[in-house]
Amino acid sequence: MTKSKTLTGGALLFEVLQEHGVQHVFGYPGGAIMPIYDALYDSDVQHYLCRHEQGAAFSAVGYARAAGTVGVCLATSGPGATNLITGLADALADSIPVVAITGQVPTAAMGSDAFQEIDIFGLSLACTKHSFQVTDINELEKVLHQAFEIALEGRHGPVLVDIPKDIQLAEVTQRLNKLSHLKNKVKLPLADISKALDLLTHAKQPILYVGGGVGMANAVDEVRDFAEKTGMPSVSTLKGLGAINPDNENYLGMLGMHGTKTANIAVQECDLLVVVGARFDDRVTGKLDEFAPNAKVIHFDIDTAEINKRRAADAAILGDLKGNLPLLTMPLYISAWQQRLQQMNTDFAWRYDHPGDNIFAPAVLKTVSDLMPSNTCITTDVGQHQMWAAQHMNFDDPSNFLTSGGMGTMGFGLPAAIGAQISRPHDTVIAVSGDGSIMMNVQELATIKRYQIPVKVVLIDNAKLGMVRQWQDLFFDGRLSETDLSDNPDFVMLATAFDIKAKLITKKSEVKAAVEEMLDHDGPYLLQVKIDSAENVWPLVPPNTANDKMMESV
Amino acid sequence: MNPVTLNKYQLIIMADDKQVVLERILQVTRYRGFLINGMNAEVNTGNNIATITMSVSSERPITLLIDQINKLIDIKSVKVDNSVAQIKQHSA
Repeated sequence: MTKSKTLTGGALLFEVLQEHGVQHVFGYPGGAIMPIYDALYDSDVQHYLCRHEQGAAFSAVGYARAAGTVGVCLATSGPGATNLITGLADALADSIPVVAITGQVPTAAMGSDAFQEIDIFGLSLACTKHSFQVTDINELEKVLHQAFEIALEGRHGPVLVDIPKDIQLAEVTQRLNKLSHLKNKVKLPLADISKALDLLTHAKQPILYVGGGVGMANAVDEVRDFAEKTGMPSVSTLKGLGAINPDNENYLGMLGMHGTKTANIAVQECDLLVVVGARFDDRVTGKLDEFAPNAKVIHFDIDTAEINKRRAADAAILGDLKGNLPLLTMPLYISAWQQRLQQMNTDFAWRYDHPGDNIFAPAVLKTVSDLMPSNTCITTDVGQHQMWAAQHMNFDDPSNFLTSGGMGTMGFGLPAAIGAQISRPHDTVIAVSGDGSIMMNVQELATIKRYQIPVKVVLIDNAKLGMVRQWQDLFFDGRLSETDLSDNPDFVMLATAFDIKAKLITKKSEVKAAVEEMLDHDGPYLLQVKIDSAENVWPLVPPNTANDKMMESV
Repeated sequence: MNPVTLNKYQLIIMADDKQVVLERILQVTRYRGFLINGMNAEVNTGNNIATITMSVSSERPITLLIDQINKLIDIKSVKVDNSVAQIKQHSA
């Protein structure tokens, strides 16, 4: 490229962001990032002012997950930077490509305990895929390009770039060389295809175990084709939901701690697990030594470190799932196994005939799922409502179910929904939250108000930290310690204070009309759904227990 | 308490001489459950490649640590030095 021009570091940042197709960023200004915000003033990049840096980080995560692109967030030094950390940790745990830009005190002041100085570069080591601190203006352009490349290369993840204030102000000639390629870190595929084919052809009771890596690899079509052509019964992790068409007759639902009875029994009885983009997480396996005890394992993954990490693979196929899975796609003759599991699916189907007038949360979420438009994006917070959403809602793509899987971060749902809605303005976005979780980032209602973002919020309100209360009841002798939230604010009044239309329902007879009203409303809407505080999430596999020893009630 | 078998290994790590590469290796090593018994790091100023020799011990398989260190962006290679005897140490 021959074009070049002189820019400040701050202006160069936005030039590079636009080169990478970034149109929207989320952030919060402050002293050490003021030159960048000054450059933003002249930039075509649209900035969304969140009301807390953690909200900015989660909005960037939601944006990235909903749109399949890189999310970008900005924060100042010190507390601004530390407030990003939970969002970055969440992105690392769920392999989400995010680029976080932090301002830093001037290089001459670094290491002097200056005002709002913190070693965010050091703090970032455990919560990012990689991080940079730019101390030479001539390195800034290359580093920014590398940040995007690293975020998207191989297993996705968050990258932090810390830029001291004097570097933001310094002038430099932009070279406009799009990318400086990293060394090739991708290992050669472990060509265990023939071993895998042998395992596949000899299996009588195989199960396809689908994880979040499928969506990341853009391999939903290939996985669905594999499931259809092999006829292999399939189960999904929390993050894999949406990868398999929920109408597939051999789909058994989510496995693990709150998985379906059929999915967990099937995995325990299978003789072959075909694992695609999943990592044998402890919430999936229960007691690891007793997980799928009779199964051989074919493990597809992009990350070498996941192979044999928690479960040894009999055939490991490393690399691009999109290219590798079709090599094993062929008809299987497993009709007896299919029929048995289909019968279990029928026998153990969810029931919504809950007695009494109280609202049954699973039924509400089933109603929302049935009535919402196609391609609706659901976000959740963390707790009982999250598991009910995973169990009782259907998703037509992994990018339509955004939940904090690995980190399990309360406060994720509302800002993630904001990011998702901005990335997909024409789709419906619904945040399913709880009365505990919503308060973790409730300030983002102000972001919704400021930009009139038409996010819908379904607030499942049991006036409890419900999942912790459930565990205290089941495993701590009912000693309910610090889980009562009966002094919650009036959520309808709270939403109204932010110019958000809101409604409270308390009886099951109100559910359908209220959900329709919410979905028909053009702007943001909060539907508070009051439920019985004693309701539990079932089934439940107790900790360190095999998945087929699930509890189904008390 | 059952005695724990700690396996000792010596790793030879080649890395680009970049910011905080040593901190990254130390952080990953600790987090993944390995004790560092000793280390030496030198940089070849001609090619800016660092050679880090690190003795570690753990009850966990060494491949777990090798795979995680290999994922770090600035790492060029990680090898177990087979010339150093692998010692098993028992502790209660």
